[in-house]
Amino acid sequence: MKLLASISLAFLLGVSFVAAQQQSRDEYLKTYEQRARFVVSAFDTMQQARYDVIAARYATGKNVQLADSMFQALLKECRGDMFWMYPVIGAYLHGKDVMSPATRDAVRHAWKTYAPYRGDTENHWAMYYSSLFLAAEQWPGLAGSEWFNGKSSDENLAEARDYLEHWVRIATTIGQGEFDSPDYFPEYAISMSLLADYAQDPAMRQRGNMMLDFLLADFAADQLDGEYIGGFSRIYQPAVFKPLLSGASAYAYLFFGTGEPTQNSWVLLPALGKYRLPDIIFRIATDRSTPYLHKERKRVRNVIRFGTEKNPPVYKQSYVTADYGLGALQGGILQPIQQHTWGVRFVDCRPTSTIFGLHPYWSAYELGMFFPEELKPLIADVTLSKGTYNNPDKWTGGSPYERTFQHNNTLLVLYDIPPGTVTEHIDGFFPGNLDQRNVDSSGWVFCKAGKTFVGWYPLQDYVWMEERETPAQAKNLIGRPENVPPDNIIVNWRLRSHHPQNGYVIEVRSVSEVGSFEKFCAGLASHIPRATLTPGHVSVEYTTLEHHVMRFGFPDSRVLDGNAVDLSTYKLFEGPFLNADVGSQRLVMTYKHQRRVLDFTTLKVTE
Amino acid sequence: MTQRRRSILLAIALAWGAMQLAAQESTVYFSVVATKLFVVGAANPRTGVFCQHPSADTAWSHIGPTNIRAFGVAVHPGTRQQVMYIAAGNGLHKSTDGGATWRITTGWRITEVLNVCPDPQDTKTVFLACPYGIFRSTDGCASWVECTRGLGSTFTQWVLVDEAHPHTVYCAAEDGAYISTNRGDSWTRMGLSVGGVRTIVQDPSDPAFLMAGTENNGLYQSTNGGIWWNKCEAGIDHTTFYAIAFDPQHPSTIYAGGYVTGIYKSTDRGVTWKRMNNGLDVLTFHSIAVDPHNSARVYAAAYWGGIFRTDDGAASWRRTGVADSQVWTVVIHP
Repeated sequence: MKLLASISLAFLLGVSFVAAQQQSRDEYLKTYEQRARFVVSAFDTMQQARYDVIAARYATGKNVQLADSMFQALLKECRGDMFWMYPVIGAYLHGKDVMSPATRDAVRHAWKTYAPYRGDTENHWAMYYSSLFLAAEQWPGLAGSEWFNGKSSDENLAEARDYLEHWVRIATTIGQGEFDSPDYFPEYAISMSLLADYAQDPAMRQRGNMMLDFLLADFAADQLDGEYIGGFSRIYQPAVFKPLLSGASAYAYLFFGTGEPTQNSWVLLPALGKYRLPDIIFRIATDRSTPYLHKERKRVRNVIRFGTEKNPPVYKQSYVTADYGLGALQGGILQPIQQHTWGVRFVDCRPTSTIFGLHPYWSAYELGMFFPEELKPLIADVTLSKGTYNNPDKWTGGSPYERTFQHNNTLLVLYDIPPGTVTEHIDGFFPGNLDQRNVDSSGWVFCKAGKTFVGWYPLQDYVWMEERETPAQAKNLIGRPENVPPDNIIVNWRLRSHHPQNGYVIEVRSVSEVGSFEKFCAGLASHIPRATLTPGHVSVEYTTLEHHVMRFGFPDSRVLDGNAVDLSTYKLFEGPFLNADVGSQRLVMTYKHQRRVLDFTTLKVTE
Repeated sequence: MTQRRRSILLAIALAWGAMQLAAQESTVYFSVVATKLFVVGAANPRTGVFCQHPSADTAWSHIGPTNIRAFGVAVHPGTRQQVMYIAAGNGLHKSTDGGATWRITTGWRITEVLNVCPDPQDTKTVFLACPYGIFRSTDGCASWVECTRGLGSTFTQWVLVDEAHPHTVYCAAEDGAYISTNRGDSWTRMGLSVGGVRTIVQDPSDPAFLMAGTENNGLYQSTNGGIWWNKCEAGIDHTTFYAIAFDPQHPSTIYAGGYVTGIYKSTDRGVTWKRMNNGLDVLTFHSIAVDPHNSARVYAAAYWGGIFRTDDGAASWRRTGVADSQVWTVVIHP
């Protein structure tokens, strides 16, 4: 009898749990559709001739004739390379059944006559080959004379398939090369979204769906209420200051329901698409009830000279709570121009909800590692499009003279900058809208950002510099104006230290971890790091608030509580939510009782 | 001789003269990688390959695809200018109809092709240099073979097939100059013991006489096919040379240019050099070509200054096109 009662109770609990879960999933899908409609609504009534507007009008059936005329007009002057390819094939696929024959002919003609540049980096190739794959499927059996590159439909399909398979394989074995980029996340997501929706080849369609899962899961684990957390391969200003301005945050809004509502064009095609986020990824993105440590291995973009390894590993660590995320790459040159080595981001004090530091560095040597053009003019070449690259006050970029050592919510950063380097100072960014920024007599700089508390202990003396936002900082360089009212410009702060042998200790806690800002400050005041700062001998020893002893010697000697830290043991993903071994092509997602496995060797998803 | 017969003979003579003139008319090709307004994905000004007959000296005609980051351009000898190549970011483009239509002959693994060199004695064989090594095709670009055995660095920027011995190939790599005597199957380092070799050229009248330009290490010459090298010192004030060109009619005359060098000229086979910058408003040059039918006519490709021309052997220069463009290669096909 007792047994029967227990079984019945378990059954009832199980049924109610499943019902609750289903209700929750239904609720998610309902709100997702609302968000998708909100995104699309900005485009399907717009009068401006744009490919995204055309796609939205075709998809929603709002004045198809106008979409036809817009499409034909735009196709008279094709430009934009791979940034032309994906919106054109996207618009075509959304409208091919309703567009006029003349419009269909115009699209076909464009793929014959306009030769897009393939680009020189991973996001370019993802867009180029996913678009080419879909186009080759749409127009099969054509001779090379019918295509811009002189290759037949079959040849284009085969080449695109080969590249996409290669990219998926490399991304799931040793990691993405253009990894965790708040500004370049959309380029990959759109490419995979189009494959997931429109590839006729079932394997490629499945690959698109699985890579969307992969990309969004990767983002979800490093995401806090819409903000990408940690170190990044590439980020533009001003998303480096204002995290929610990034394209990735638009994906967080659409798929996770986090961050702030946005009608960003970069998320339109997925919003029109059929892909629906698996529940487990939604949970991973939104459950911050327990702080967690998430580790990842990525890879450096192709090193074409000045290196012995084509894709050296990148080790990334993020510590995420409900209130903040602290994350770092190991330091050094891991990506050209726009690297973001470390940062803490928080949910309060938006929009400028971040603190980070860097050594502003540039060199032809760095660029030459990744770009094939002549070395001496390279800096001038790059600054034509990346104007801040050689600016001593810049806020993005890696340095060979910077290294980090992170343990949970404590971060040590060291610099050993040789004489004659382009800059011999280091900078720290402190937003002007912090609740408090106090310099303590102990040497700590204590910051309060709502429920998050940040301690920054500079190892050398420094000065504070006022950092008034300029229009260039207020406007995203890749074209997303922020529309900050002039009277609402924030005055931020730059901590600048001119000592080439340098460093700092970062401690981050939240009110739920230490009780109050006062307790945080009082506790840290007696935790003073001991540093050696002479050329060639830069090291620091520090005891954390939890009494872990960290010893860090520049460049790569890391010891925690007496044990050497070996970064090379990092897996592709390692944490409570995502796990994958290097080389495995197999990502295991877990959340409470849920489990989802992406096996790219078999293209199977199991739950 | 009747008046009518004299007229006919005169007409024939004039036609013959015109044909001879046309037969000696060169075609100049140059490749534009980018303009100062270039941004990937943006609405960019037209780039790619341009050509002109020097006697016309008016507008340049654009041929082939635009906006592909065109680094190199070459015409395959022995094909009556029908077979042409563009080494580009998108790979190696080939035309078999004089530039009317083009095909990318490489796949995704070969990207950012910096230089192409057709085998002058075999219209099916082509070499290319790119950041991932030297690649060779022996079937008219239908397939490619990676040729990196023996290279210390696969970052290669230049490949040259020996005019006299087509099994001998030279290449310039990040870590030095290499020679292959088996058409690229394997490479050995030449006697030039400096890194950053950027270009290697061969005297058209003496295949054993080579010259090399380097990044930071100056200009070198070898008189024994690359076994020993001597640094050119007399009159040289710069260290980085991207471009060297022999005058085909007078090979003792050599031109060289590089990073902020202007144009150097030697008339004694590279022993002494003199800067010839009259009329130049930019000083970084990436490629130089001498008209094979007119020694006084030389073209120089400015890295960010368009294309310059002299008709008096470099005594004076004038810009003749595409200002504000990064011109990577200029070649003259006889």
